Amino acid sequence: MLGQVIVSGILSGALYAMVALGLALIFGVMRVINIAHGPLLMLGAYCTWLLYVGLGLNPLLTVPVSMAVLFVIGLVLQRTLVFRVVDAPELSSLLLTFGVSIAIVNLAQLVFTSDLRAVEYITGSWVIGRLAFSKPRVIAFLFALGVTALAFLFLQRTRLGKAIRATSQSREVAMVCGIDVGRVHMFTFGLASALAAAGGALLAVIVAIQPEMGGVWTFKSFLVIVLGGAGNYPGALLGGMLLGLVEQLASLFLTTQLSEVVAYVLLVVVLLVRPSGLLGGRQT
Amino acid sequence: MTRKALAALLACALMVLGVGVEAQGPIRVGASLSLTGTYAKLGKNVHEGYQLCQKDLNAKGGLLGRKVEFVVYDDQSTPATAVRLYEKLITEDKVDAVMGPYSSPVTEAAANVTEKYKKVMVAPMAATTSIFKKNRKYIFMVISPAEVYLEGLVDMAAKKGLKTVAIVNEDTLFSKAAAAGAADIAKKKGMQVVFTEAYPKGNTDFSGLLTKLRATNPDVVAAATYFDDAVALTRQMKELNVNPKMYGVTVGGDLPEFYDTLKQNAEYIYGATQWEATLPYSGNKEFFEAYKKDFAHEPSYHSAAAYAGCLVYAEAVRRAGTLDADKVREQLLKLEMRTMFGDYKVDADGFQTAHKMVTFQWQGEKKVTVWPDDLAQGPARYPTPPWTQR
Repeated sequence: MLGQVIVSGILSGALYAMVALGLALIFGVMRVINIAHGPLLMLGAYCTWLLYVGLGLNPLLTVPVSMAVLFVIGLVLQRTLVFRVVDAPELSSLLLTFGVSIAIVNLAQLVFTSDLRAVEYITGSWVIGRLAFSKPRVIAFLFALGVTALAFLFLQRTRLGKAIRATSQSREVAMVCGIDVGRVHMFTFGLASALAAAGGALLAVIVAIQPEMGGVWTFKSFLVIVLGGAGNYPGALLGGMLLGLVEQLASLFLTTQLSEVVAYVLLVVVLLVRPSGLLGGRQT
Repeated sequence: MTRKALAALLACALMVLGVGVEAQGPIRVGASLSLTGTYAKLGKNVHEGYQLCQKDLNAKGGLLGRKVEFVVYDDQSTPATAVRLYEKLITEDKVDAVMGPYSSPVTEAAANVTEKYKKVMVAPMAATTSIFKKNRKYIFMVISPAEVYLEGLVDMAAKKGLKTVAIVNEDTLFSKAAAAGAADIAKKKGMQVVFTEAYPKGNTDFSGLLTKLRATNPDVVAAATYFDDAVALTRQMKELNVNPKMYGVTVGGDLPEFYDTLKQNAEYIYGATQWEATLPYSGNKEFFEAYKKDFAHEPSYHSAAAYAGCLVYAEAVRRAGTLDADKVREQLLKLEMRTMFGDYKVDADGFQTAHKMVTFQWQGEKKVTVWPDDLAQGPARYPTPPWTQR
């Protein structure tokens, strides 16, 4: 039983990590807490569903497409709205992104209705001994690892990635060094939205989707980056895995109802004991 | 000049009065429904049931010589919002009557308001016994109580000689009652309840719960669900390779969308329903056809119960000859009526005692009634094969 639970925890942990990385990027670079992160994830899920149902595209091939679409939506959001609150107090960015998230969810309800939608692509599991490896979750896990690895490579190796990290460390110094901070902000928001979209696209294969699915992902991502250290990118990875495991272990040893309680209690404890997160904040 | 103006004014006044005498304007019936949120799918069906009832009543000349008009708001599937909306319907909109919202938790909350203002509320979407056992005077039940939803599944299992049952439920009013009822019936029939667990509303990850459940290796899995969780639970049972000999859900499993969403994975799953289009009640076929024509999809039992509840209320008003709450209440307590939904008769608490549940199984993309024996269309496909062998 324990083995099964650890498998499930790690499988969902990678997804948490990837989605949370997006939130961590935005917070690190812009000091904006993006409440609309979950709803953007939901849009990514619907992109995949539309392409699957409308064009009959293989759901796994739709992941990059959903990411590209949400990248553009992210750019536009940043250019039109979010850039206005970058230097404002954090409450302004909370309010703005909260409003944006409500707008997105309600628009989605209008367009897609509240019906549950499912992408019945791969279901079932590979059974190895007593362990069942859920096919869609294993695939999502591999994809999430791949996308996260690419994102890290991008941040470490490319010029733009370095510019993002530099901006996150100190915007003033980055500006002095000739980095176009406005452009970096825009790109970061796009990239973060694309990461959320990847999460949504993969989720669409795992669970049935509906317009309100995103909210809980905003909170989970937030939990993950606080656990790992806000603005600390490798921390998001650790936090994601940790959340996945804690949720599963709690639902094994306690009850399903308590599993979320445990996760948020963990959040409070980390904030009390190590307010800068397990790996410390902003060491990029 | 003044005389002309006066005459015109008088004519106007007469016209207004005249209209007033001929028809007092429509009877406005208020309700809040879950048009968005967790229960949106089912709430919409209830809404359509009410709409069709409004249409059919008006086609037959309305009620007490007046047209009937529904005033519906969206409670977003939350009891707190419903409370506010019923308060608004009664005090601000001053509706003439109210009908119940969707789901037990929402009805439980709304009933406090309707009771406070002494408004009769026929609540076709509440299946939780406790709602009707709180000395409330003005609330009336239409469907069978939650406790008997899983009776068919458990009864069939016991007859097949199965010994162990696992029961899981969403931790809300209705599902808890359905789970408790299933446990009671199972014990009475000599089965052993080997696992029980509740999960919070809106839960999407069942891996921990199912891992524990799988370890107890039950013959039967009885799940007291709504729609979203029934879908998620089924998918994850397949993912975790949980293979009971019988697996049944409560609400949601009967919707065509359940099969549309799960496709062939819905095969063999048992569900309970208050009503089926195929049941031989008079007027049922007509209702089914009219509904399909108006809303371009088939009605669920929610649609049917809403429609029937509305008819029951209308009949009581007709017999009372007035909208006065106490007189309509008297009629509702006395009324014995068979609609296309089945029988209606309540005890002194407004608790439903006449209506019957049926159990079906998904077989070849169709729901086949398999219990009780006298209504069954065919035998159950038993046992359910393991996921790996389908």
